[in-house]
Amino acid sequence: MMGMARQVVVAGIALAGLTTPAFADHDHAGMAMSSSGTDVGSTSAVAVGMSFVAAQFDTMYYAGSYQGVVPSVSWSRGAWSASASLSMYHLDENGLGVYGLGDSMVHGHVDVLGVPWGRVGVAAMIMVPSANGQNGLGMGHLMVMPSAWTVATLHAVTLSASAGFSRALVDLADHVHGIWPLVDPMNMSEITWSGGADVGVGRGVHAGGRLFGGYPIGAPGIDRVIAAARVSWGGSRVLTGGELQAGLAGDPFTIRGVVDTALRF
Amino acid sequence: MRGLAISMILADVIIAGCTGGRPTATGTECPSPDPLTLGYDTAFDPGCTQVEGAGSGVCFGKAFMDKYCIQCHASDLKLSMRNGAPLFHDFDTLETTLEVPDHVDEQAGIGPKAANDFMPGLRCPSTPGGPRDMDCVQPTDAERQQLSEWIACARHRKYNFRPDAGVADAPASDAGIDAP
Repeated sequence: MMGMARQVVVAGIALAGLTTPAFADHDHAGMAMSSSGTDVGSTSAVAVGMSFVAAQFDTMYYAGSYQGVVPSVSWSRGAWSASASLSMYHLDENGLGVYGLGDSMVHGHVDVLGVPWGRVGVAAMIMVPSANGQNGLGMGHLMVMPSAWTVATLHAVTLSASAGFSRALVDLADHVHGIWPLVDPMNMSEITWSGGADVGVGRGVHAGGRLFGGYPIGAPGIDRVIAAARVSWGGSRVLTGGELQAGLAGDPFTIRGVVDTALRF
Repeated sequence: MRGLAISMILADVIIAGCTGGRPTATGTECPSPDPLTLGYDTAFDPGCTQVEGAGSGVCFGKAFMDKYCIQCHASDLKLSMRNGAPLFHDFDTLETTLEVPDHVDEQAGIGPKAANDFMPGLRCPSTPGGPRDMDCVQPTDAERQQLSEWIACARHRKYNFRPDAGVADAPASDAGIDAP
């Protein structure tokens, strides 16, 4: 019975991680969390997800808010998984309201080491500049983001951490615009990091918190730290969650809420 | 479902390929010696060529900013009236304009290395703080070239932005602020 409950917990975390859109952060925390429950079987699993995001920001140059919707699709087989997401936003910046696509994410990750209580893996994400980089909806550059992550589960508690490197594929000597875009700001070249914990509180409900951010390296930028508290509920097939995030440093946003739901096939 | 995933990835790539260029430094250099004909106004640049119909003592720089920019980029506009213009990018004075010369060149200038027409947008206000419309005037390519040349020259001139303004005649050591 205990083993079955643990499987459900792990599967739920996997579902959350697989379908947590990359817009929410660039630190691969979602992938780290997902790794704990990646199916080790040989069958493929596909999940579709939808996230809704709303935030308020007040930076040195801009103040306003945005709302977004991010559909995503993901696939996993054994230790391998991949996902893609495409975001759409309404952004209100300094009195101007715009609608448009955000940048899109394609990422994959693989478990490279697994033990009964934890996993270590590597991931790669590509951020495709599908947004208009001028109006604050997108970075304006192709970004590559390799990372490594680890996750450990002890009873009902799952701990996760990740570290990575994100870099715009552009000559930084020729073009540096600092932290951007407004909807999900990051530096053009930075070290990303995250750490978090998730605990099952019964009846398929999980609560957790995490810190994540970015540290500029190789180009001028701003240190960014975000704290988040999350609650999710559901099972191995459908999982819904809500996360409240606060920008602690670097003005990524004042406060941001994310609600996501995912269906796994 | 696998087809859906592939379709999303392809859509990403296609959309990315369709997005436009990015703001780029024009590489414009100020002629040497600086002819001083392109200036802000005669108070700051006494030898500048005045623009006909732009007001007394108004030269290219102020005329350009007043005609195309300050509808959004003005320090006296409330946040809600800036139509997206970033704070601290105000072009209603020479001093504030020269705080972000690279941005001006990369957004609106034309030169040997780039032709930028990101600003003003196709839809922009015709009146300060007004709603964006399609009737707002747009600079000509010649004006954009002059803008880059003026910025290239003005950023190296010595100005005195103290209340007793005007181009500093004093030696550089006490001539006030060296434009960025």
